[in-house]
Amino acid sequence: MSVREFVRSKVPTDIDRFDRRLALVSVLRPPSGLIIPLVVLLAFMFVGPIASIVLFSVQPTNTISLAVADWTLDAYREIVQGTISGKGVYGEVTTNTIMISALTTVIAFAVSYPAAYALATKVRRFKLPILIALIIPLFTSVNIRVYGWVLFLINEGVFDLLAGSVGLDAPSIIYTRSAVILGTVYVYLPYMLFPIYLSISTIDDSLLEAAADLGAGRTKQFVDVILPLSKPGVIIGSLFVFVLSLGAEVEAELLGGGTIYTAASNISYSFGYSQNWPLGSAQAVGLLLITTVCGVVILRTIDLTEIASRGGSR
Amino acid sequence: MSMRSDRSLVPQLSTGLWYGYLVLVIAFLMTPLLSLIIASFDSGQTFSLPFEFTLKWYSNALTSTSVQSAVDSTIRISIPVTVLSTIIGTAGAIAYTRYSFPGQEYFKIVALLPIFFPLILLGLGMSMWANVTGLGYGIVPAIIGETVWISPIVMFVVSISALGVDPNIEEAARDLGADTLTIYKDVLLPLIVNGIVSGGIFAFVLSWNNYYIVSYLKGSEITITTWIHGRMTQGFTPVVPALASMIFYVSLLLLLVAVLMELRSSR
Repeated sequence: MSVREFVRSKVPTDIDRFDRRLALVSVLRPPSGLIIPLVVLLAFMFVGPIASIVLFSVQPTNTISLAVADWTLDAYREIVQGTISGKGVYGEVTTNTIMISALTTVIAFAVSYPAAYALATKVRRFKLPILIALIIPLFTSVNIRVYGWVLFLINEGVFDLLAGSVGLDAPSIIYTRSAVILGTVYVYLPYMLFPIYLSISTIDDSLLEAAADLGAGRTKQFVDVILPLSKPGVIIGSLFVFVLSLGAEVEAELLGGGTIYTAASNISYSFGYSQNWPLGSAQAVGLLLITTVCGVVILRTIDLTEIASRGGSR
Repeated sequence: MSMRSDRSLVPQLSTGLWYGYLVLVIAFLMTPLLSLIIASFDSGQTFSLPFEFTLKWYSNALTSTSVQSAVDSTIRISIPVTVLSTIIGTAGAIAYTRYSFPGQEYFKIVALLPIFFPLILLGLGMSMWANVTGLGYGIVPAIIGETVWISPIVMFVVSISALGVDPNIEEAARDLGADTLTIYKDVLLPLIVNGIVSGGIFAFVLSWNNYYIVSYLKGSEITITTWIHGRMTQGFTPVVPALASMIFYVSLLLLLVAVLMELRSSR
């Protein structure tokens, strides 16, 4: 019997209380005390909501309270049958959503890559103002920015004002799928640009010097050094843009003018107008799975230390 | 990257082209914001040609009682969200960057995952969850909901700043006899304070501009973004571009302050 155990057997209550207090203090000691608030918050209001989406998707039509025992696959059946038979909007929704997200990703990549490359390798002067100009849109409400596009594109809008002053007259693309894609490319472009910019700016200068010393011209340096080394940024950016544009609702609502249905607008319709939570949830589960997988892949690839050391405004 | 010493005309010309391309991208990013500002100064009931300058929509926006109550609700949400997510996000960032503990990488993945979620998914999941748990809808649920999305962003911003601080600095302070509290108060926090302030400003601006989460959790409250959205889709008034522009001006100002803080910290 150790001294401690001996003492405890004599005065059990006091020591127990002291031990417990000690245990509490050590639980709250950093890092645990620093982690707990975030973990509790996410467990309550992030994991809980995700679980609700999954659980509601297996509830009977039009329920708004959970009875987990009465599970059914009705909502999924309706979506699958709707997609196969081609009746209703599901077929169109799937085509629209995939088309919009895929095209948005491709266009955002095509626009961003040269910009990210220029920013990382060519730009020396005015770098900070350029960076600020590129992040400003991210901090403005999505519906305000998309509404700005509506004002630009509508008949007799800002575009017509500008085009008219130089004698141009072009038909507007508003309320078409192209307009929705313009909106999603616009909103998610920075999510493609910045990962690519960061990955190009982490490339060690000496690698390019070595390549040049070995006789590689500028084109060869680009194809054999910069392009492969910027791949992580391209992958992260593409996943980011693809996933986020799957969730594009305001873009479809305002720029599609209620004629272009996407997964997000359909989900929101199920929740809002038709009050069918299980049907909306079942559609959301697909989106949820894709999002979680892509999110985890992105986060496993991101190295914060590298961003901190290279991503500054050098 | 190495600059070639041959300062001939060709590389200068190509640099000019790269700058020109960036200017085009920026022009694209600015188009809707500038359109909004142009429309906010137009006197028509709906934006239409010819353009006539006026300031009356700005004064209408500032005197409208429904706008004032929307601003009021937004502030009652944004300030608690800013305080909470700055504290929670900073704590998470310090834990992740200044300590090593089992499951650290899993902590990073889970803690930052909400950033990658389309907000509509978060919003509707939270809306059902608020109903199931009896949390209900209104100011408090909206605060909790936004904090879930914004704390990870603050954690990200503060982490970047905290990773720039020498990892041995706490050890040195401890060797000199400082206890944990002193290390935080006198060493670590002063070193990352610029990151925390800019994280806090980001939090405020993001909360102020949040639409999806708040629209699912607000209940009967009307915030600025939901007011604007309502007026865009039904019952349009020309006050909308003016109010949206004013929000943009304020966000822009705050963002510039945050960027300058970050810049000072990286010097």
